[in-house]
Amino acid sequence: MRLYFATDVHGSETCWRKFLNAAAHYKADVLILGGDMTGKALVPIIHDGGDNWHATLLEVRTEMTTEEEVAAFEDRVIRRGYYPFRTDPVELQRLSEDEGHWHGLFQEKMLETVEKWMRMADERLGGTGVRVFCCPGNDDQFEVDEIIDNAKTVELAEGRVIDVDGFQMVSTGWSNRTPWHTYREEDEPDLSARLEKAISGVTASPERVIFNFHCPPYRTGLDDAPELTEDMMLKDAGRAVKPVGSTAVRAAIEAHKPALTLHGHIHESRGNCRIGRTLCINPGSSYEQGDLLGAVVDLDGKKKVKRFLLTSG
Amino acid sequence: MASIAGEAPYEERSLFVRKATGLVRGWSVQDAFIYAFFSINLITLGLYIFASGPFIPKGSLMLAIILSGAYLVFQTIVYAALIAVMPRAGGDYVWVSRVIGGGIGFTLAVCGWWFINWHWVPIYANILAKEFFQPLGAILGWSGFVSFWSEPKGIFTASVITAVLAAVFISIGMRGYAKLQKLCFYSGMAGLLIIFGLLIFHSKNEFIAAFNHYAHHTYHSTSANPYADTIAKGTYPHAGSLGGVAFGSTLLLIPMIAFFNLWSNWGATLYGEVRGASDFKKNIGAMAGALIATTLLAVILLLLIAHTMGWNFYNSANNAWWGGTDQLGGVWPYPVTLASFFVSPWLQFIVILLMSLWFFGWVGTVFLTASRVIFATAFDRILPEWAARVDRRGTPYFAILIMLGPSLIISYFYAYNTTFTSWTLDATLVIAVTFLGSTVAAGILPWRKPEIYNASPIAKYKVAGIPLITAAAALFLAFLGFCIYKWLSDGVYGSNNHDSLIYMGCLYGVALAIYVGSRIVRKRQGLDMSMVYGEIPAE
Repeated sequence: MRLYFATDVHGSETCWRKFLNAAAHYKADVLILGGDMTGKALVPIIHDGGDNWHATLLEVRTEMTTEEEVAAFEDRVIRRGYYPFRTDPVELQRLSEDEGHWHGLFQEKMLETVEKWMRMADERLGGTGVRVFCCPGNDDQFEVDEIIDNAKTVELAEGRVIDVDGFQMVSTGWSNRTPWHTYREEDEPDLSARLEKAISGVTASPERVIFNFHCPPYRTGLDDAPELTEDMMLKDAGRAVKPVGSTAVRAAIEAHKPALTLHGHIHESRGNCRIGRTLCINPGSSYEQGDLLGAVVDLDGKKKVKRFLLTSG
Repeated sequence: MASIAGEAPYEERSLFVRKATGLVRGWSVQDAFIYAFFSINLITLGLYIFASGPFIPKGSLMLAIILSGAYLVFQTIVYAALIAVMPRAGGDYVWVSRVIGGGIGFTLAVCGWWFINWHWVPIYANILAKEFFQPLGAILGWSGFVSFWSEPKGIFTASVITAVLAAVFISIGMRGYAKLQKLCFYSGMAGLLIIFGLLIFHSKNEFIAAFNHYAHHTYHSTSANPYADTIAKGTYPHAGSLGGVAFGSTLLLIPMIAFFNLWSNWGATLYGEVRGASDFKKNIGAMAGALIATTLLAVILLLLIAHTMGWNFYNSANNAWWGGTDQLGGVWPYPVTLASFFVSPWLQFIVILLMSLWFFGWVGTVFLTASRVIFATAFDRILPEWAARVDRRGTPYFAILIMLGPSLIISYFYAYNTTFTSWTLDATLVIAVTFLGSTVAAGILPWRKPEIYNASPIAKYKVAGIPLITAAAALFLAFLGFCIYKWLSDGVYGSNNHDSLIYMGCLYGVALAIYVGSRIVRKRQGLDMSMVYGEIPAE
């Protein structure tokens, strides 16, 4: 079986499109998206009256005077993983002053996009026989699960043991605690209990088991993230890195010795390592650049993973 | 800022960000500045290469430092732009492999950041011996200890110390190393201020008296007037010309100075998500800031040396040392040592210790970038999987071994075999060739990777309609081209050595062979390596 794994696309439509095309590109039987599908920011495109619009992306202000220019700008925003919306100064001020209001808009745009992505998957991969799994990550709101669960082509993987071509895959997008207090994070003992509960459903032998856990195992080089100061600045300009992975994930891998584990969460920590015979992969993420980082893995059910490559597509 | 009619002005919000992993407020330019500042290290690399000024006697050392320092701002723009477009660990390797091709990227990065840094270990070691062990030994009156560091076994011992220190710093990780660098930066700067103070508040006559005193007492000079004899034996036409404007000769000094100021981009790969145009500017601020600050400090230091020691004396002392006619018993006239002659031997000892932090905060750079390149190439499956393996404490022990082991072997040959020593003369050239590859990649990036480039925060910057990254790359290419041409064609730099070129050519051959061999092995294993770099169509 050949699987393709990518993760942390964070709303980048370019990355999602590439992900769907990865099956044909890499001749993969299975596509797995590791989590954190949704974007982090809303970008207002402000109507200044008449044909005039303006907006700011990456701290660069753009003035627009035609519908084509506005549409092109929206496309740039979407490709980067943010959600554009058209507004006027009055509405923008109202949004700015009402957190609940803009959070509502955020959720609406986010869920709209996930729904659109599910439809794109149906169009591109429906009937091809390629299985596609998504497991929302700690940055994804819980409402995302329902949309994926209702999708035709994409299958929801969270918390389930799924049979894939003679292998069993256990997935969760939950992580240990982060400084951002995201949607799916918990203390290590709770995460350990969650993992063990999911793993308890596994019946295959270890060499036929895949763990798809969003959070990487602790101190493996797959979990080195920049250290932060108390006021959330990158310490030493991002050069001071420290391991932030999960001890519970590491313990689960050491105890159950699956053939392969797939992770994300820490975008900067692209790489692979071994814990015993288990191959652990975090392909990293460059979603903002529209560069889909991934991993192609061939499994044959023997003691070790047959072969793998980290890709940059 | 915008306002709605009839209402108070409000700050227009251009972005609404929800809670999500990785969103941080930014980073301090000062922190990035320290790393760049230590990479173009005034006290280690700078003072070491300034001593070679007499080889181009008509040139103005100070003008060459100012001109090259100003021009190399283009280098910082090129690298800050590459970071903004592709902020990925692996730096030069990732940029060249993705924009030009895997084979070229691997060969240039592996030679320029890994293989050649084995050869930089004995260069670092030379500096350690000359700026730390010998001055301290001289102050303590240990003449055997002082001469030991000029002998092959001394150079080899210093190389072992250098390599082990660099390996230890990688073992403790960037987090620990960054803390150490900060400590060394502030303490080293305090040491430099002391040196400035000593040079400002003492006269030339006082220096002559102090030099003559310690040349006799510490370095056992037999001359009746060591200061005068230093000038007499080391002087040459134009030795006393501090600001001479023999422009052609001054330009010829620039490829020499590059040994010191070409490295502001040494830590070019930043971790973390690039947030926008301000990060691009901050990266330029950190690298160019370090370049400009170091250039200014160099100018101040040279002016103070000229004021208190005499410019003719400074150049003559270096020239006499090269010619073996110096008055300090063959010990390099380290300006810090000379400036410390104004105070008692114990205070001299403390000043040398303080100034040695410029070395100890810098020494890790010899392996750190190499380890990232090793990791990036291993993750691309060119090097074996074990090259990127870490132990339970996160120590990349194999990467350390493949840096440390060969560097010790090379240091041994460097110390004991003068023929081999001459083979390593192109150490700067090889890194410059790697920069050349990245600069070409930067120049063509807007056309080779239009989607990634246009999505980056630097796409809006243009000069006369040309993308800023391309314009800056063209200007930096001119600098690199000039330096490489001069290194290869002019004997004064000591690097147009035929054997050295063949040896360095062999290193490129080995790197290319590893790449080709890896492709063949992976193909036999059923791995299609073209998948590593091949872009998936988005439509």
